[in-house]
Amino acid sequence: MDVNNTLSGFNSMAATFSKDVDQAFWINFWISIILGLSVLIPMFYFAWKYRASNVKDEEIENITHNTKLEIAWTLIPTIMMMFLFYYGYSSMKTLRTMPAESESIVIQVEGSKWKWKYEYPANKNGFVHKITSVYDKKIGDVKRGLYVPVGTNIILKMTAPLNDVIHSYYIPAFRMKEDVVPGRTTKQWFKADKVGTYDVECAEYCGTAHSYMYSKVVVMEQAEYDAWFATEGKTPYEDANAEPISKGQALYEDNGCSGCHSIDSTDTIVGPGLKGIGEKHDAAYLKNALVNPDKDVPEGFFPGVMPPFALPDEDIAELVKYMQENK
Amino acid sequence: MSKTYFDETHCAYGHPKSKFMQWMLTIDHKRIGIMYAAVMFFYFFIALGTAFMMRLELLAPGAQFLDGDSFNQAFTLHGVIMIFLFIVPGIPAIFGNIVMPLMIGAKDVSFPKLNWFTFWLYVVGTLVAMASLFTDAGFADTGWTFYAPYSITTGTNVIFTLVAAFILGMASILTGLNFLVTIHRLRAPGMDFWKMPLFVWGIYATAWIQLLATPVVGITLILAVMEKYFGIGIFDPAKGGDPVLFEHLFWIYSHPAVYLMILPAFGIMSEIIPTFSRREIFGYRAIAISSASIAGIGYLVWGHHLYTSGMADTAKVVFSFLTFFVAIPTGIKFYDWIATMYKGKIILSTPMLWALGTIITFTIGGLTGVTIAMIGVDIHLQDTYYTVAHFHYAMLGGVAFLLFAGMHYWFPLVTGKMYNEAHAKIAFYLNFVGFNLLWFPMFIAGYYGMPRRYFDYLPEFQIYHQVSFAGAVLFISGVIYMFVVFYKGWTKGEASGTNPWNATTLEWHLPTSPAPLENHTKVPYVDFNPYEYHHGQPVVKFDYKTMQRID
Repeated sequence: MDVNNTLSGFNSMAATFSKDVDQAFWINFWISIILGLSVLIPMFYFAWKYRASNVKDEEIENITHNTKLEIAWTLIPTIMMMFLFYYGYSSMKTLRTMPAESESIVIQVEGSKWKWKYEYPANKNGFVHKITSVYDKKIGDVKRGLYVPVGTNIILKMTAPLNDVIHSYYIPAFRMKEDVVPGRTTKQWFKADKVGTYDVECAEYCGTAHSYMYSKVVVMEQAEYDAWFATEGKTPYEDANAEPISKGQALYEDNGCSGCHSIDSTDTIVGPGLKGIGEKHDAAYLKNALVNPDKDVPEGFFPGVMPPFALPDEDIAELVKYMQENK
Repeated sequence: MSKTYFDETHCAYGHPKSKFMQWMLTIDHKRIGIMYAAVMFFYFFIALGTAFMMRLELLAPGAQFLDGDSFNQAFTLHGVIMIFLFIVPGIPAIFGNIVMPLMIGAKDVSFPKLNWFTFWLYVVGTLVAMASLFTDAGFADTGWTFYAPYSITTGTNVIFTLVAAFILGMASILTGLNFLVTIHRLRAPGMDFWKMPLFVWGIYATAWIQLLATPVVGITLILAVMEKYFGIGIFDPAKGGDPVLFEHLFWIYSHPAVYLMILPAFGIMSEIIPTFSRREIFGYRAIAISSASIAGIGYLVWGHHLYTSGMADTAKVVFSFLTFFVAIPTGIKFYDWIATMYKGKIILSTPMLWALGTIITFTIGGLTGVTIAMIGVDIHLQDTYYTVAHFHYAMLGGVAFLLFAGMHYWFPLVTGKMYNEAHAKIAFYLNFVGFNLLWFPMFIAGYYGMPRRYFDYLPEFQIYHQVSFAGAVLFISGVIYMFVVFYKGWTKGEASGTNPWNATTLEWHLPTSPAPLENHTKVPYVDFNPYEYHHGQPVVKFDYKTMQRID
């Protein structure tokens, strides 16, 4: 079996600072080996050399001090530690020094139970791309992601809704993460110089579906990105000629409902499957289930899991309609 | 035959006839230590079983027999038990109680009745913690860190766990207070601080942390309860509160707490190494001072848990810089222990095997801690299996391993019997190999981006989980085997005599083994260093009737 990691692009060093972080890691690794061996080699050697059968009682020496040695094993590790501090600091410096916003694409990221939403700056037609990225258990992959051009500074301004919990936006291939905190805006940035797809994981524990809160970063050629960005297409890869979907279904996908609720079965993902829900419940119940989900929780499920959805009334109405049609 | 502390005892109230009530009401520090051990290991095995369930679930990607919520409750249960019920009371509650008063030549701790009360407070705390397992809402699913706002919004029964942690914290404070006063007031005449055994130094440094740091977590937990039930708005962002504040407050306690766990463990190491090298310890004062300085610096480094929390970059730099200074006194201790072996006579008895094994595991645990003290690297490794592996190498491979070492070392002191050394060694090797197989792959998985607290994972990571599982099976077999060896030793072992290891410190100069109720016959006068050997034999000898030196 391949013991290497195959998280998409992990070994590609795709972000400009990935190399610095890895370099710091390996410097640490070798210094740790040296320090570790400086303890373990003498330990094994003494345990063997001075084994009971090899030492007469009169030969034991009660040495309790050796100033030179003691200075050495205080000073040398101190120097090594300062060296490591420096590399920890310098690798952070490249990670955390934000480029100017004027030279970057600033994308708003919202993490909530259990989906990632991206909001782009308006394109030249004034259209704002909004993408919801959720993990689909059925296909075992992430639906939609963060689409960015290669070789461009990307600043992520991240937050979580006030009634949500802390998440963390982690791109292992880029060696970067930062918590996404309700009520705060945290930032991180990257510049990827290799085209490819890179996994995103939620690294701060956030409950039931924490281990499914994936997304992905898709780094594209500039031209390809520009071509998409100028349009109103949902993603660069979605078929423009596909049958148009109802407004309710679009809302269902954009709000990440599918991350927890299967629409075409009654299987539980996190919450109950929705197949046939239109037959079981009336509009008032369904509306309440969206805006105040903790009030009437179906049996076998717990309050506090689903966040209340504070959407405009007409959107709620569309979603209710969509569910009612699901028979 | 003279009576031992198993035959008679002092009670907090009255003079009960029944053996059972004598144990329940006992104020004897040795009995209380044994009772702590019994309760702690009862919970330890529950948490071990929970961990094994998680390993079993993680054997393959996808849900096997746990769903996300049950898994989240499982790791919370595991963490809460292991941290608050097992390792925080840990070595001080067991050996701080049993051995520390003996080492300083005291008849008991300063406040025996407070000690009795503290033990029962601890038991109440553990019951409250477990009670929520049997409520409708179920055990908390917050992780042992209780991060807001998750702990505020979750529907599970967090309040029991928070209140329990508060009560257990209270018990910890009282233990610390009791030990501080004991060490200051009840040392045998002549024993100044530089004549105390190093285990006492470890307990002393720890007692200060228990006393000064624990109130912070108490306050934090109360604030979390107030937030959850009265909505005071200190952590809830919807009311203008700040969840990151909770993280700061939590780690202001919980980081010093890991030193509170490890310092007494280092103390055990400092007892075992000279005894089984048959010579005086190298750098006594350096080891003692390094314990104190670790306890001191430990207060100033909590921010290294928060490199990715959104904290200011300048603060990260300061916390990182300070963190590296914890590594230095720790390193000095290790070099001193190794130097103690130089030109000694190394007896590889079971306690020594455990101690040397711990030098290996803790070296790995300590140095991987240095990795994640480096800010840039930690930004990648924070909240991954790398951090999980580091923590377990330091806590299990450091604290718990040294607790096991201490149990082998002081077993004859407590029971008056000796276990079977050959079997105890087999148990050690099972533990040691299993432990490394269990945790080492997680460093690699973590480096490659396996996040912690995932109940399902990408198929790429399966190989690491499989190796870990094999390690878990070995390790758990080793732990069970070790306890079988102890059980057989206690019930069928041969009488050990008062000083089976040829050790020097005062707990080995008792008139009988097990010890009589009030320890030494007379309070000894201490005009010697704790580890004085000459030609491999203890220098100081006592007449156990008069406690006069006869060497």
